[in-house]
Amino acid sequence: MITVSAAEVTFGRGTPLQTRALRGLDLSIPAGEFVTVIGSNGAGKSTLLNVLSGDTTPEKGKVEIDGIDVTRWSAPKRAGLVARVFQDPMAGTCEAMSIEENMALAHARGRRRGLGLALHGRERALFRERLALLGLGLENRLGDSMGLLSGGQRQAVSLLMATLAGMKILLLDEHTAALDPRTADFVLKLTQRIIAEHGLTALMVTHSMRNALDYGTRTVMLHEGRVAFDIAGERRRNLDVPDLLNLFATVRGEQLADDSLLLG
Amino acid sequence: MSLIATIGAVEVGLVYALVALGVFLSFRVLEFPDLTVDGSFPLGAAVAATLIAIGLDPVSATLIAILAGALAGLVTAWLYVRFGILQLLASILTMIALFSVNLRVMGKPNVSLLGQSTLIDYFAGIKPVFAALGLPGQASLKVVVVGILVIVVTALLGRFLVSEFGLAMRATGANPRMARAQGIATARQTYCGMALSNGLVALAGALFAQTAGFADVTVGTGTIVVGLAAVILGETILPTRSILVKLIACILGSILYRLAIALALNSGALGLQASDLNLVTAVLVGIALILPGARNPLKSMLRRKAAAGDAQSGAAS
Repeated sequence: MITVSAAEVTFGRGTPLQTRALRGLDLSIPAGEFVTVIGSNGAGKSTLLNVLSGDTTPEKGKVEIDGIDVTRWSAPKRAGLVARVFQDPMAGTCEAMSIEENMALAHARGRRRGLGLALHGRERALFRERLALLGLGLENRLGDSMGLLSGGQRQAVSLLMATLAGMKILLLDEHTAALDPRTADFVLKLTQRIIAEHGLTALMVTHSMRNALDYGTRTVMLHEGRVAFDIAGERRRNLDVPDLLNLFATVRGEQLADDSLLLG
Repeated sequence: MSLIATIGAVEVGLVYALVALGVFLSFRVLEFPDLTVDGSFPLGAAVAATLIAIGLDPVSATLIAILAGALAGLVTAWLYVRFGILQLLASILTMIALFSVNLRVMGKPNVSLLGQSTLIDYFAGIKPVFAALGLPGQASLKVVVVGILVIVVTALLGRFLVSEFGLAMRATGANPRMARAQGIATARQTYCGMALSNGLVALAGALFAQTAGFADVTVGTGTIVVGLAAVILGETILPTRSILVKLIACILGSILYRLAIALALNSGALGLQASDLNLVTAVLVGIALILPGARNPLKSMLRRKAAAGDAQSGAAS
C-alpha cells in the first residue's frame, strides 16, 4: 500500500513565480493496482511522481510505503522501494555505457555496492534471458553501447531495468511521449505485460486519455494539485474519452477545451 | 635526440601518467572539471620530500602523501557537494589554498632529497642488468620502478571501474539523475572519486620528488594542462570503449606528449629553447584538441567517390 496524504509542494515560494504544485493531495494505491494519471499542464502530475520517488520533498503531508514513513527519504535511499522510467529515453540510461553495464546498475538497485565485479556470467545470462523476452534481438548485443539504441529500444530496456530489482511501486513518467505512435504502442503493450507478469503496483502518467482508459485498473485525474476524480472497476470500464471529458467538466464545474487536456 | 634525453622523457611521462589517470577520473568518469591537481601534485611532492628528509621511510612517506592528496580532493568535493559552489571555482579555491599549505608543509620554498634514500633505491639491486645492456643505470632504474608502479595502479584502477562501486561512479558522472533513481548516493560517489583522483595526482607528485631529487612549491604550475593533454592525446591515438584500454591510452598519451616536447626542444632546426616549453605545450594541446574533429581529406574524398559509384550502379539497375 502506497499512501500520499495531504501533500503540499510549492515552487518558488515568496517570488512572483510562486506555484502551488500540490495542494493537499491525497492518494492511496493498494498493492497490485495499476493507476493511470491524467491532467493538464501544471496539474501536479510530475510533482506527484517526484514526491513518490523522493526527488521532491513535500513541505506538508506524508508519503508512506507499506506503513513506513518515507517522506524525508532521498531518492537514492528510496530506490529499493521505487523504480522509475523517465519520459526522455536519454534520461533513464547511461548512453556511454553498454547495455549490460546499464542493466548491472539497475540490478544492484537498493543494494550496497561493493568492490566485487559488476558483471559475472550469472548476471549476463539473466540479462540475456530478459532481453530475449523483448523480441528485439538485443540479447545478442549485450556489449553494445546504449547510445546505439533507438528511443523505443531504450525505453524497452529501461522497463526491463526497472524490474531487475525488487520494488513496491513502478513509476512511469509519460514514458512513451517521446516515441512515434507505433513504437509507443509497442512499449505500452510491453509495459502492461511486464506489470501483469510480475504483479507490480504501478503509477503511469500519460497525456493520452485513450491510453489512460485502455491500460491499468484505475484512472486518477489531477487538477490544480488535487485529485479531481478517481474511477475504477465497472464504472471505468463503461467510460469513453468524451465521458471522461464530461466527467471532468462536472467535477470542476467548468468547461474545458478537449485539446488543452489531450495536448496540454 | 640523445638516449639519455629519451629515457628522461619516458620517465617524466610515466610520472605524469598518474596525473593523467587522476585527471581521467575527474574529467571523464565523474565529469568534474577539477583544477585541484595544480595544488595536489606539489602537495604530494612536498609531503613526501619533507617526510623523507626528516628520516621517515619512503614507503610511508609516499602513502602519507597520497592521503594528503585525497584530503585535498575531499575539500574540493565538499565545497561543491555541500555548498553548491561551481566545480571549477571550488577546485580553484582549493588549489590556491594549497599553495600556502605546501609552503607550510615544507617550511621553505623547496626541499632537496640529495643523498636521501627514496623508493627508487629499494630496487638499486637491478642496476647491473642495465649496465650489461649498455643503458644508463640510474635513469633506466627510475623508468622501471615508476613503470611498475604505473602498471600496478592502472590494473587496480581498471578493476575498480568495472566493480559495482566503480560502475556506480561512472553512472554518477554520465547521468546523475539516473544514478540517483538507481539508488546511487551521487554525493558519496563524488567524494570517493575526487579523493581517489587527487590521491593519484599526489602519488605522482611524491614520485616526481623522489625521481627528480627535490620538491618545489612551483612544480604544480600547469599540472592540469599536462594531465589533460595526455588524456586527450590518448583518446586521439587510441579511441576505444573499453575502460581498461582508455586508462592505457592515458599512459601512452602522457609518454608521447613528453617525447613530443623533448623532440621539439631538442631539435636544433626549430631553434626552440627550454623557456619555450609553455608555448610548445599550448600548441601541442591545441593540436590534440583539433585533431579528433578534423576530417581526413583523403578519407572524405574516398567516401564521396564510393557514394558516387553507388548512385551510378543504383541508376543502372
